[in-house]
Amino acid sequence: MVSMKAFRKGTGSAYAAAALLVFALGLWGCGPSGSPDQGEGKGADSSDAAMGNSGAVIEVATASGIPMLLVPGGSFMMGSADGEEDESPVHRVTLAPFVMDVTEVTHAMFEKMQLPNPSKWQDSPDKPVNQIRWRDAKQFCNERSLEEGLDPCYDETKPGWPCDFEASGYRLPTEAEWEFAARAGMGGDFPFGSADKLPFFAWFADNSGAQTHPVKSRKPNAWGFYGLYGNVSEWCQDVFDPGYYATSPAENPRGPSETGEDARRVIRGGSWKSSSSMCRVSFRQGQQTGDTDACFYTDFCGFRCVRKPSVTELAMLP
Amino acid sequence: MSVMSVAVLLAAGSARPDEESWEQSLGTSGFEIVFEHYEDGNWDLFISKPDGSGVRNLTRSPGMNEMYPQVSPDGSRIAFVADTGAGRETVRSVWVMGMDGSGLKKVADYARQPFWAPDSRVLAYLPQEYPKWNVVDYYTKGMVYYDVETGEKKDHPNAGKLHHLYNPNFSPDGKWIVSTVHAGMGYGHAILLIEADGTKVFNLEIPGCRPCFSPDGTHLAWGPGDHELSVAPLDFSGETPKVGSPVLRIVDPKMKIYHIDWAPDGKSLSLSRGPNGKGDITKPNTHASACEIVGVYADGWDIFAINAAARGTIDLSSGHHPKARQITHDGHSNKESDWVPAR
Repeated sequence: MVSMKAFRKGTGSAYAAAALLVFALGLWGCGPSGSPDQGEGKGADSSDAAMGNSGAVIEVATASGIPMLLVPGGSFMMGSADGEEDESPVHRVTLAPFVMDVTEVTHAMFEKMQLPNPSKWQDSPDKPVNQIRWRDAKQFCNERSLEEGLDPCYDETKPGWPCDFEASGYRLPTEAEWEFAARAGMGGDFPFGSADKLPFFAWFADNSGAQTHPVKSRKPNAWGFYGLYGNVSEWCQDVFDPGYYATSPAENPRGPSETGEDARRVIRGGSWKSSSSMCRVSFRQGQQTGDTDACFYTDFCGFRCVRKPSVTELAMLP
Repeated sequence: MSVMSVAVLLAAGSARPDEESWEQSLGTSGFEIVFEHYEDGNWDLFISKPDGSGVRNLTRSPGMNEMYPQVSPDGSRIAFVADTGAGRETVRSVWVMGMDGSGLKKVADYARQPFWAPDSRVLAYLPQEYPKWNVVDYYTKGMVYYDVETGEKKDHPNAGKLHHLYNPNFSPDGKWIVSTVHAGMGYGHAILLIEADGTKVFNLEIPGCRPCFSPDGTHLAWGPGDHELSVAPLDFSGETPKVGSPVLRIVDPKMKIYHIDWAPDGKSLSLSRGPNGKGDITKPNTHASACEIVGVYADGWDIFAINAAARGTIDLSSGHHPKARQITHDGHSNKESDWVPAR
């Protein structure tokens, strides 16, 4: 087997050449979350001072053209004392900065990487991919990394494709990163206020018509992320353990140690078929990866990518 | 013999005369079974008599990895895929040669899943969706007919719309192709009947994958799930072809069962059986995916023959079954069997 680094093939300059479109978005003052059509997040309840915030998110233009936001990191209270048993105990988590996709990965993004799209609904290039196995998502991450001249995080030459969190390329978010982005500095079950506002922010069972919808067709959250609460549920990197929060490290938790290739992985966020309760930011699910299933029919599984910020990006942080 | 004594005999697993004759016919049919086999870091095509005797390596090529054998209906040629390179640099190609190994010829690179027209002259195959390597079975787009006599290639008349098909095969009259589709052609997942020389497509409305026509075209065998294979009648009498209720179910709650295929006389079926897994990429020339997929190491997988005249349910998890016979025993990723007609 050839090591992943051998596949960069002269694309190393692509990332360096990528223009960094940088403008700080006030926490919920301007940019995506402040436009007239997207102002739902402005009135969200931010009374829980213990939630903390990231200071500012910064829009990043990537070599592949997929929009991302640089989240400066910070601390927040993860979980819920009022939710399912696996959502507690509520615990403080501190995260390093990370860069996350603004939307779920779409058909157009997936096919640009010349990967076979396993999705059920492909009637719009802007709909999120679904029926995605955990490995499909990781493969996309690696292809996208190579496309942009970054070092892939997943080592395809080793069983289970272990993740190198220090690599410059793309990977799936940790469960903590996902919830931090979904909360966007807010407390409560729904960072935009209450469940009655959910239809403005998410495609879920009550409004989806039993199918996925184009990304960005609901309102973004306060930091400018779309679709975290509905449309498709999103794969995370972590092994699922319902009791993990009792032992989770306070800084950059990455889930329980690998417990075998067949361990369930975390998916977060509601989907087109979820009840409103499943769209809560603290709601957790463990999902079979589908990696041993030739015909994976789980039509609510999608994903978005994250990566470590580059040195240039880190320098942009306040 | 009383009804009671018959029941006792069946419960004890004793063979009835018709079962004995089926077992005997396996040995005397003159058929052979060819399958993919992984050993010493390499995939080869192995061939065996249906009673498990006479096993030999048909390809013996350390630099190539031959898999997915498909024998022409007249038994003169064998088509297969061969992988060269490794990891992301793997290239999968379709090849054809005589059953004696003569006339080896590459048909196409970046192609997979060859299947024969009934005339044994046209070899169809599915081009890859993109040249980039990917192990998944539905990584296909279009369909090409290759004339093994002239080398001429032409696209299926509906090739532009055929997307994400896998495991296709012709009906015995050559008018239809039955195939699985996954996330393509407007289907999430389905088994389709595709007109061989036209553009008609019917959804057979059955769950699962990997369908296969019986030699007389009256039945379909396929896998409704990881642990079940079914045989059901086909009805072409109406406006829309239909699949009837299964007459035979082969199940194994513990092991995966896949790759069902009919013997040329329709009296037997073959299948692959083994534990669930997603490969072992420490093994050279293998890939990570579901273990039933071509090119994925499948530890403990072996080939079985089944009495196709059986009715009801055959449970392979309960040890020896009088209507089933294990053909290979080494568990070396023995998969994708195909029958070789008597020569």
